[in-house]
Order: sequence, then structure tokens, then C-alpha cells
Amino acid sequence: MSEQDIQNVVSDEYKYGFYTPIEEETVPKGLNEDIIRQISAKKQEPEWMTEWRLKAYRWWLKMREPRWANLEFPPIDFQDIRYYSAPKRREPEQLDPELQRTFERLGIPLHERNRLEGVAVDAVFDSVSVATTHKELLREKGIIFCSFSEAVREHPDLVRKYLGSVVPYTDNFYAALNSAVFSDGSFCFIPKGVRCPIELSTYFRINAMETGQFERTLIIAEEGSYVSYLEGCTAPLRDRNQLHAAVVELIALDDAEIKYATVQNWYTGDKEGRGGIYNFVTKRGHCRGKRSKISWTQVEAGSAITWKYPSCILEGDYSVGEFYSVALTNHKMQADTGTKMIHIGNHTRSTIVSKGISAGESNNTYRSLVQILPEARGCRNHTQCDSMLIGSRCKANTFPVVEAENSSAVIEHEASTSRISEEQLFYLQSRGIREEDGISLIVNGFCKEVLKKLPLEFAVEAIKLLEMKLDKSIG
Amino acid sequence: MSVTEIPGTSAARVVQEIAPWIAGYDEAAFRAVADAAQHPAERAAREAAFQKYAAAPTPHGKMEEWRRTDPASLPFARMARLPYLSARSVGGHEWDEAFDVVIAVAEQGWQVMDRAGLVAQGAVSVQELSRAFIERTISEEEIAAWAPRPDAVDKTALLADAFWNVGFYIKVAEGVEVPRGVLIRWANAATSKALIGRLVVQMGSRSRMTMFERHDAPLRAEVLSVFSKRIHLGEAARVSWATLRMEGDHAVHVADEWISVERDARVEWTACNFGGKLIKARFTGDARQAGASVEMDGLYFARGEQHMDQKTLQAHSSPDTFSRLLYKGAVKDRGYSVYQGRIMARPGAVRVDAYQKNNNLVLNDGARADSMPGLQIDADDLKCSHGATIGNLDEEQLFYLRSRGLDEQTARATLIRGFFEEILQRLSFEPAREAVAQQITARIAS
Repeated sequence: MSEQDIQNVVSDEYKYGFYTPIEEETVPKGLNEDIIRQISAKKQEPEWMTEWRLKAYRWWLKMREPRWANLEFPPIDFQDIRYYSAPKRREPEQLDPELQRTFERLGIPLHERNRLEGVAVDAVFDSVSVATTHKELLREKGIIFCSFSEAVREHPDLVRKYLGSVVPYTDNFYAALNSAVFSDGSFCFIPKGVRCPIELSTYFRINAMETGQFERTLIIAEEGSYVSYLEGCTAPLRDRNQLHAAVVELIALDDAEIKYATVQNWYTGDKEGRGGIYNFVTKRGHCRGKRSKISWTQVEAGSAITWKYPSCILEGDYSVGEFYSVALTNHKMQADTGTKMIHIGNHTRSTIVSKGISAGESNNTYRSLVQILPEARGCRNHTQCDSMLIGSRCKANTFPVVEAENSSAVIEHEASTSRISEEQLFYLQSRGIREEDGISLIVNGFCKEVLKKLPLEFAVEAIKLLEMKLDKSIG
Repeated sequence: MSVTEIPGTSAARVVQEIAPWIAGYDEAAFRAVADAAQHPAERAAREAAFQKYAAAPTPHGKMEEWRRTDPASLPFARMARLPYLSARSVGGHEWDEAFDVVIAVAEQGWQVMDRAGLVAQGAVSVQELSRAFIERTISEEEIAAWAPRPDAVDKTALLADAFWNVGFYIKVAEGVEVPRGVLIRWANAATSKALIGRLVVQMGSRSRMTMFERHDAPLRAEVLSVFSKRIHLGEAARVSWATLRMEGDHAVHVADEWISVERDARVEWTACNFGGKLIKARFTGDARQAGASVEMDGLYFARGEQHMDQKTLQAHSSPDTFSRLLYKGAVKDRGYSVYQGRIMARPGAVRVDAYQKNNNLVLNDGARADSMPGLQIDADDLKCSHGATIGNLDEEQLFYLRSRGLDEQTARATLIRGFFEEILQRLSFEPAREAVAQQITARIAS
């Protein structure tokens, strides 16, 4: 692997970088109470929802933008963003043919003759959900899977009961902003004892320029239920940064299990670091019930900047939290990501497996908190965070924090940083495998523990995505 | 302080105005110290340090470094600086006869004992720091040139550099081996007084030395110790340095210590932290040239209301360097230990092999251990890893011992001593090992 090879860094084509010319309905740029009322009106929201947004907005005004992460980015002008943009519907309930073509190009099945069997899809284009498949099949089981806006209209009691109970709008700056201007997202409710028969998935596509994307997702799994959920996202190539500040709240009651997987492929910006999405997300799962389980699996391959810590609050006794992550940064991307596991209940367990891959001139930071509260007996945590460096100009950092206030806790943490082993590559090459394929294999092996947590079809997609991102980034 | 209320809630945001000085150590206090300087050279050195001290940010709870140790618990305001210490007979100690050079410091003064004539021969030079500045055997610029992290200023360390009341410069000449090492005994029994010490050690190339330090204060004495210690190892030098902090349960000990290691030089650095009420220490090892090796071992045991905050840094400023760190601690009663470690590989530092391990025993509910191992890697082609564990004594191991006839208490004591054994083995001086073992035993029993 020569220095010259390292210089031949990929001009990886972001094949989702196209733009769909479609008539959009927007609000003017900027943010004030008026805009918020307009957004709420367009979504035909009830008064309580509008009020909630306004309370969040007023709280946001008092907060200061956080700058403590290991990330560098220019100041964001919050008044220079459009907070709502939705494709104009020609006729109600009918999907614009342009939109259909867009999703076909992206490979997202919007018709129920799926090429991926057993997946229900809710497709969100800019600020609105444009289609949700398999709704009838799910309704038979009592499962609600619809866009968040629809849930606010059709299931207000459920939304009111759980919204903000895991991530209140006071939680942090971007959560407050999201709570004020959230566009759309998914709502999912699994009733007692029901095992969701198919994968649920939401696909987010940002299209309009100079808009921010602020989705809000809420998943509730009642006692004894199970759901596996996948989130995917892409955006067009642009030369200005766009802000994506989402909030995801998961609630698992007694004996319930929620699996939440994300394959994030937002536009990363070009090789010089121009453009690209700022992905500032608050994701949190509340294991409210005994023996409940929430697992987060993420493959972060996009965004100019990724700033998120999918976390679990392990309140119910014997509850389990898991975090499996592959974060890949290349060119001038930056990531400050990780997780928080808060052990409140007795005999709670958490597992963290984080694999960071840095290439190019990127900066990849893993940050975590494992906290055992004084009253939490018999808790266990195992953490493994590994970083792989490709090339000599990238950075990898690990900043874990462990706070143990109970003597019966058992906490194990290990981390390592290394580069792709010359020996391993030589071994593969001497058996006729090309260098690029060899690197793919090694990276694949490095990430295996995380990738096998993804639903099968998506594991295949994720591997292809990682390979594409690393294409020719040898070092 | 100003208080703003947030409408609609009962919360209020309190904004604290941060003073530029650490209480009691302000401009006026410094004038008094500077005026008492023995010579313009000493005064100039203090002035330079004071400028940096004044410019450094005052610690407050929102700074990452101070999040777990409240700066308000530092008793600078009520601990007056002891007046500048001068040479005086201090009295012997049973350890003295095992060393070639002994430096003894107490609140009444200090004494250097050249037991083997090495100082007289010129093989080892031991000078009062102010004298060293006056005679230009060492300068602040030289010390600054060795500093691993000139950017990371610590106000308490700079306070020591400006206000010191006792200080030594030790130089071991090239190629000299100090056969039986150096012992430095720091003792402070002056209640409500601060001992502010500086130590600068320069090891000439290919020199070798073992250095033992002990910090003592009476069990219930409320004293303050502030130390700034700097060691530089020239090419192929070797140092084995152990410090025992045993200042009772009511003292406050604040230390900033670094070792800067050049080509093919090696340091084995052991810290044993037992006293007092609050220890806030920074230990930095910098491997600056190829072949440099830094080994850092630490042992800490907090009981009662003790609070021990240790921050270590294994810095690699050059390719082909090695570091290994093992810090083991136990907490009981309402003790609170904080371990923050970082391995830093600067850009271009390839073929670095660095390892960091922190193990903690939390012996009862209500005790707390925080562990924050960290890696900051700006180079590829290296091997850096860390591990951390926190837990109580292993139930199976306890059962094993009890099923062979040991009662619960003895079994626990055996396992705790076993836990620390690895670190005790690093101490080459038998009486030091005994002293540490005694401290551990006292804490297990109490």
C-alpha cells in the first residue's frame, strides 16, 4: 500500500445525489411563532399539538447552541433555513408519478408487490409521508404503523400519552428545535402480546434545497410485544450544508422488545468537504417494563457530520439495552457518536459494540456513558469499541465514561485502535484476491458482529454500502 | 453571582462570576513572595510563572477536568503558604540508610544528605531550585522546552511554579549510575499551612537512577500540599520513580507531574495514593523520540470520605515508542475515585505500541468509581488499546477461599491484597512495599 495509492481516494459517486423536479409547497425561510403555526395548520393539527410546538420553541429560544463535541463546523444560521417543504398533492391519496419514479430509482418499494417480501414501508419525502404500505395487514393485528402526522390526527390519545416522555423538549438544543418544527416521521404502536409479522421501515428522502429535515418517530411496544424496525435515508447532492435534526423515542413495556436499525446514507459532502448533511439526532429508548429489551443497530456511512448517541434508559428490572454500530468516515467527514446506557433497575444488562472506520482526512470519535445508579443491583455491562484507521491523515478518538455507584455491578470495557494489517492483506493477495477485495473482506470481518444484527436484506445492502464508500481508499 | 429565572418553571439559572485568582493567591500575595526573593534571577523566574498563572483559566465545575472534583473543595483560601523554607537539620528516618542521597523536607526547613559522596564528587548535583536559577544551571525556558503539553495549562500547577516555598533541581551527569538511588521525604505537620514544592530532575544521557518519594502528614492534620514535578530523561537514560502519598485522611494534595523521555530512554513510574481527604493529580508521560518507553503504574484506595481524582496521559510524540499503563484502585465506605486516562498519538507517530488498563474494586454500595479511559489517535499504523473494569470482589473466588476454611473477612482481605499485588511488585525497595502493604491492610480493616 503506497502513499500514491492512498492519494487515489475514491470519487465515490453518491448515486442518490439526483434531484426530483416537483412542485413543492413551502413556508418562507426563518423561524418564529408564525411559521410554526403555519406548519401546524398545513398538517391540520389539533390545538394541543400546536401549543406543544410553541412551548418547545419558546424553550429553545432560551437555550444555547452546544459546541462541546469533537466536531468543527461553521455557525448555523437558523433563520436561513426553510422549516417545511412538501410535494404538492395533485389529487388526495394519489401519488405523484414523479415521486413514484424517485422512489423506484432509490430502490424503495412503494407498491405492495414488493421485491422485498415482508417489509412495510412508510416513505417520507421532505416534510411529509407520501405513502405507507401494508397498512391493512397490520391493522388486522391491531398494529398501528403510519406517518406521525396521521397518528396525531387519528390516534391523539396515544400520541399525547407518550410524546416527549423519553426525550422531553427541554432535553437539549436540537431536541427543542425538533419539537417545535418537526415535519413528519413514523408512528408505530404494537398492542399487548402481538408480534409484528413483518419488518417495518421508514425511508427518509430530503429533496428541496435550503430546508431542514426534522423528523419525529415514536414507537411503543406494549407488554409482551415485538417489533423490528428499519430506517433508511438519502439526500441530493448540494453544495450547501443541510440540517437534519431528528428525534426518535422508543418505549418498551414489560417483556416487550424493540429492534431499531438505521442505515444512514445522507449526502456526505464532496471531497473538499463542501455541502453534506449535518446529522444531529437525539435517539433514546426507555425500557420501562421489566424484562424489556431495546437494541439499536446503526450503520452510519453518510453525513458531513454525524452527532448522535442512541441510548437506553434501563428502568425495568432485568431489562436489556444493546448498541451495535459501524460508523464510517471518509474524506472530510466528522462523526462524534456513541451511546449512553443508564442502569436504573436491578439486574439490567447492556452490551455495546462499536466499530469505527476512519479514512481520508476524517475525524471519528466514539463517546459513551455507562452509568450504574446507587440503587441498581446486579447490573452488567460489556463494551467493546474498536477503531480502524485507513490512511495516515485521519483521526480516531475514544472517550468512554463509566460511573459505577453500586458495588454489585460488573463492568468490562475494552477498546483498540489499529490499521488494516499488512500481513492480513498480504495473505489474501498471495491467494489471488485483489487488494480492494481484500480490504473489503477485512473491513467486513471487522464489522461482522454489528452487521449480523441487521435484518438479512439490509445487512447485504449495508455491506455493499460500506464497500462502495471505501472503494479505493486503501492505505 | 447573578440568578435568572426561567418563566413557567421553578428552576433558575445561576451564573457564577469566575474570579481570575485562586483564592488567597492573588497579585498582592504574589508581590509579598516576589519581594522576598533572594536574587533577581529567582524573582524573574517567579514573575514569568506568575504571568502564566494569571492568564490561565480559573478552574470551575463546568470544565471537563473539574467535573468530578469540585474546585470549591480546594482549601487554598484557608491555607496560608508556609514561608520560604531554608536549610535546616530535619532529622533522620529509617529508610535513609538504604539510599545514596536523601532530601528531607519538613515545615521547619530542608536538609540534603550526601550519604555516599556522589554530590561532592559532582556525579549528582542537588541544588535548591532558586540557587539553580541564580547560577543558571537550569532555566524556565529549558524546562518549558521539555514540557509535553505546553498548551494544556493547569492553574494549580502554575500556582506552584510561581509561589513555591521549597524546590530542588537534581541533575545526574551523563553515564552516571546512582547505585542506591535518591530518597525525597516531604513531611508537613503545620496545620492550615500550604507546602508548595517544585522538583525538577534532569537525567543526563545513559544515566540511571531509582528515586523514591514519600509524602507524609499526621493522620488528622489539615494541611495543603501543592506540587509541580518535572523529570527529563536524556538519551538512553533509565529512571525508576515511585511516589507514596500517605498524608493522613484530612490533607489535600494537588499535583501536576510530567516525565519527558528522549531516544531509547525508559521510565518506570509508580504512584501509590492513600492520603488525604482529596487528591487531585495529573500524571503525564511523553515519549518524545524513537525507542522511548514509558511505564506507568498506579495504586489508589479511597475510604471514608476520601476523594481521589487521577488523570493520566500517555503521549506519543514520535514514531516507534512504547507505553504501558496499569492503574488499580479500590473504594469503600463513601470513597470516590476518578480515573481519567488518555493515550494520545500525535500526527506522524506511527508504529506506536500503547496500552492502558484501569481496574476498580467497589467494595460496598455508596462508594463510587468513575473510569474514563480514552484514546486520541491522529496517526495510523499503530497499536493502541485500553481496558477498564469496575466491580466488586469476585464471588467465585470468595467462595473458593471460604470453602477452604477462611472466614469472610480474611477471604476478602486476601483477595484485595491479591488485587494490588501486581503494583506492589513494581516497587523495588522492600520497606516501601511494606509501607504500602500496611496502608492497604489498614484500609481493609477500618
